[in-house]
Amino acid sequence: MSPARASWREWLARFGLVLALLALIAVLSLLSDRFMSVPNLLNVLRQIAINALIAFGMTTVILGRGIDLSVGSLLAFVGVVTATLAVQGVPAWLAIVAGLAVGTGLGAINGAFVAYAGIAPFIVTLAGLTIFRGMALAFTDGRPVTGLPPLFSGIGYGTFLGLPMPVWIMLAFLFLTHFLLRNTALGRAIYAIGGNEEAARLAGIPVRRVTAFTYAFSGFAAALAAVVLTGRLNSAQPTAGVMFELDAIAAVVVGGTSLFGGRGGVFGTLVGALIIGVINNGMNLLNVPSFYQQIVKGGVILAALLIDRALTARRT
Amino acid sequence: MLAMHDIVGRFGGVLALSGVDFELRQGEVHALVGENGAGKSTLMKILSGVQPPSEGRIVLDDRPVAFRGVHDAQAAGLAMVYQELALVPHLTVAENLFLGRLSPWVRHRDLAKRARGLLAEAELDLDPTRPVSSLPIGEQQLVEIAKALGRRSRVLILDEPTAALSSQETDRLFKILRRLREGGTSIVYISHRLEEIFAIADRVTVLRDGARVATHDVAEVDADRIVTDMVGREVARFHRDGTRRDAVRARFSYHAPGLDAGELVLHEGEIVGAAGVTGSGRSRLCRTLFGADGEATLDGAQVRSPRNALDRGVAYVPEDRKGEGLSLIASVEANLGHAILPTLARVGVMRPGAERANARTWIERLGIRPPEPAKEVGTLSGGNQQKVVVGKGLASGPRVLLMDEPTRGVDVGARGELYEVLDELAREGLSLVLASSDTDELIQICDRILVFRHGTVAVTLHAPFDREEVVAHVTGARIVA
Repeated sequence: MSPARASWREWLARFGLVLALLALIAVLSLLSDRFMSVPNLLNVLRQIAINALIAFGMTTVILGRGIDLSVGSLLAFVGVVTATLAVQGVPAWLAIVAGLAVGTGLGAINGAFVAYAGIAPFIVTLAGLTIFRGMALAFTDGRPVTGLPPLFSGIGYGTFLGLPMPVWIMLAFLFLTHFLLRNTALGRAIYAIGGNEEAARLAGIPVRRVTAFTYAFSGFAAALAAVVLTGRLNSAQPTAGVMFELDAIAAVVVGGTSLFGGRGGVFGTLVGALIIGVINNGMNLLNVPSFYQQIVKGGVILAALLIDRALTARRT
Repeated sequence: MLAMHDIVGRFGGVLALSGVDFELRQGEVHALVGENGAGKSTLMKILSGVQPPSEGRIVLDDRPVAFRGVHDAQAAGLAMVYQELALVPHLTVAENLFLGRLSPWVRHRDLAKRARGLLAEAELDLDPTRPVSSLPIGEQQLVEIAKALGRRSRVLILDEPTAALSSQETDRLFKILRRLREGGTSIVYISHRLEEIFAIADRVTVLRDGARVATHDVAEVDADRIVTDMVGREVARFHRDGTRRDAVRARFSYHAPGLDAGELVLHEGEIVGAAGVTGSGRSRLCRTLFGADGEATLDGAQVRSPRNALDRGVAYVPEDRKGEGLSLIASVEANLGHAILPTLARVGVMRPGAERANARTWIERLGIRPPEPAKEVGTLSGGNQQKVVVGKGLASGPRVLLMDEPTRGVDVGARGELYEVLDELAREGLSLVLASSDTDELIQICDRILVFRHGTVAVTLHAPFDREEVVAHVTGARIVA
């Protein structure tokens, strides 16, 4: 393959997603005059922030050839713990820090089972999915936690320089995760493990420790999303976050990260989350019944994967 | 009986074959040789129906044929055995043998019976109910060949069938091939090992840069001529003067399952070969010294892990470069940095440019082509991939480099380049351990050869070597005599 051709393909593989997003935006702005307005676009960003936060954590796990199904339940548990602490008089900021620590810790436990006990990630985090949900329900006796201090609504509804706070938090975490993956030895190790775990081990990379880290990081990301969601709802629901793991995985996959690990990144995931968010928003504006919305969403995920496959298909 | 005329293979703008003729007679073994990228595999993919030719025609029994897929080719009696195994690891030997031809209701007893017949034909003494994953890789390859036999093909295409075979297994394969030839089967035999061509082939066709250079009767040609045809210039066979000095570089002791306890003292600039058949302990030695298997000590202290070995100046080039050596989907640059991540980073953050600089050093030093650090390793030729694995090990600045089959599946040109680099490294004082099934390779570059048999060093030989003596020790002929 000539270099010019290779770089053309690489370019398309890299920016094809952005083109797809732009095309989608163009189509929707033709179909609905309400779509292309600043309030609506800000609305889209605010709506995707929570999914994007979870999906960034999920990206690191998937890059290391894992999967984390427990994030939705973990989010619910962290939400009720954080809210309960705050309601009981712990300073709001301290309650949030504690919540983030709890999320990271639970993620680390997932990671320990995967990396040190050698149990398949799908199974470990599936167990986590039900255990954390049960913990959230048991912790609150199934009731929502309300009466939160104002810091939470500030996080959920505040703006800074015209952008909603959840969007700022998402952007900050995006750059943090990107830096982690691209500019640190740890990030290199995650890609190396996703590419070939045995080769990584023989290269002296501490495979177990790094694998466990990705789950802890995913737990942190879900906990961060829990704080934002608690702010948005101004309460914490033990039933929050059902099926969030699937939305996050969809964003990662639509965003071009390989489910087999080693290939992809968080900017792709952001675009993936945007594509899904824009489609949801567009369908709401066009009054597409929600049953059909689900069908379209599934179709988009399949289409994205087919296109990605066609673009990255290797010639032999 | 079979002829390919003016075959052109153009894939994605790249001309892989530019008008190649190839003719196969009934009951001959026709060797196909050429360096990596010469077009051998493409030509055979066209013949076996995997890819259609861009131009040209194929004539079988005086009738033109066009294969629209592997199925068409198989129906016409052509079967291909790939270098990369196409077996399903969790299925049994019997199930694999009849894969794709199983009836909807599998009766295991029948299947096992038919499988036994086929295995006997391939001179394989195996329990057909064993899962394939439990077999050593050499036997898996023989099962793959038995699978092709089961199709009763008229034309059998073998792509590097001996890459994973021990010398006994190779002999066994040759016996099978000779019998097939006598029965009228035509065989296309792709190989990098010239001695095999002289052992088995009737004719040899040499490809270079997508064109046919020559077809010779094997009886009328010598190895130098074939090598010259392959590379297009005269190449001297590699010769190396000993660079061993008396200073001791490392003292190992080791033991592992399948490898008896022993000691190995390496001197500065010394290249020590580990010979022996598959499973004799030669490969296990490297893994053990690297801390990946069994137990080893270096200079009196235990080698705790691969990381520990690397930190103490011991690097390892594994045998299976795709399974253990490389992340194929990552760049050349990333792979070259994987063993030295801690030194490429400061407080965990990658130093800007450090990875690129490291990559440039080894790309240049080893002659990795194309010389592009950002290139995905999986897109490189086998020889260049191998250079990346070697570079990955060398990047850690080792005093001892352990290598297992570093030239397996590597073409002649790249092999020579690799030998030169190894010689240069030895001159600089590096000690090397080279486990290899290629006796010529060991003879050409080692100062000392340890011959392994049943997990123990049966004999140690010193340069200059007598080829027959080495082979006799490796194959165990010396004990029989």
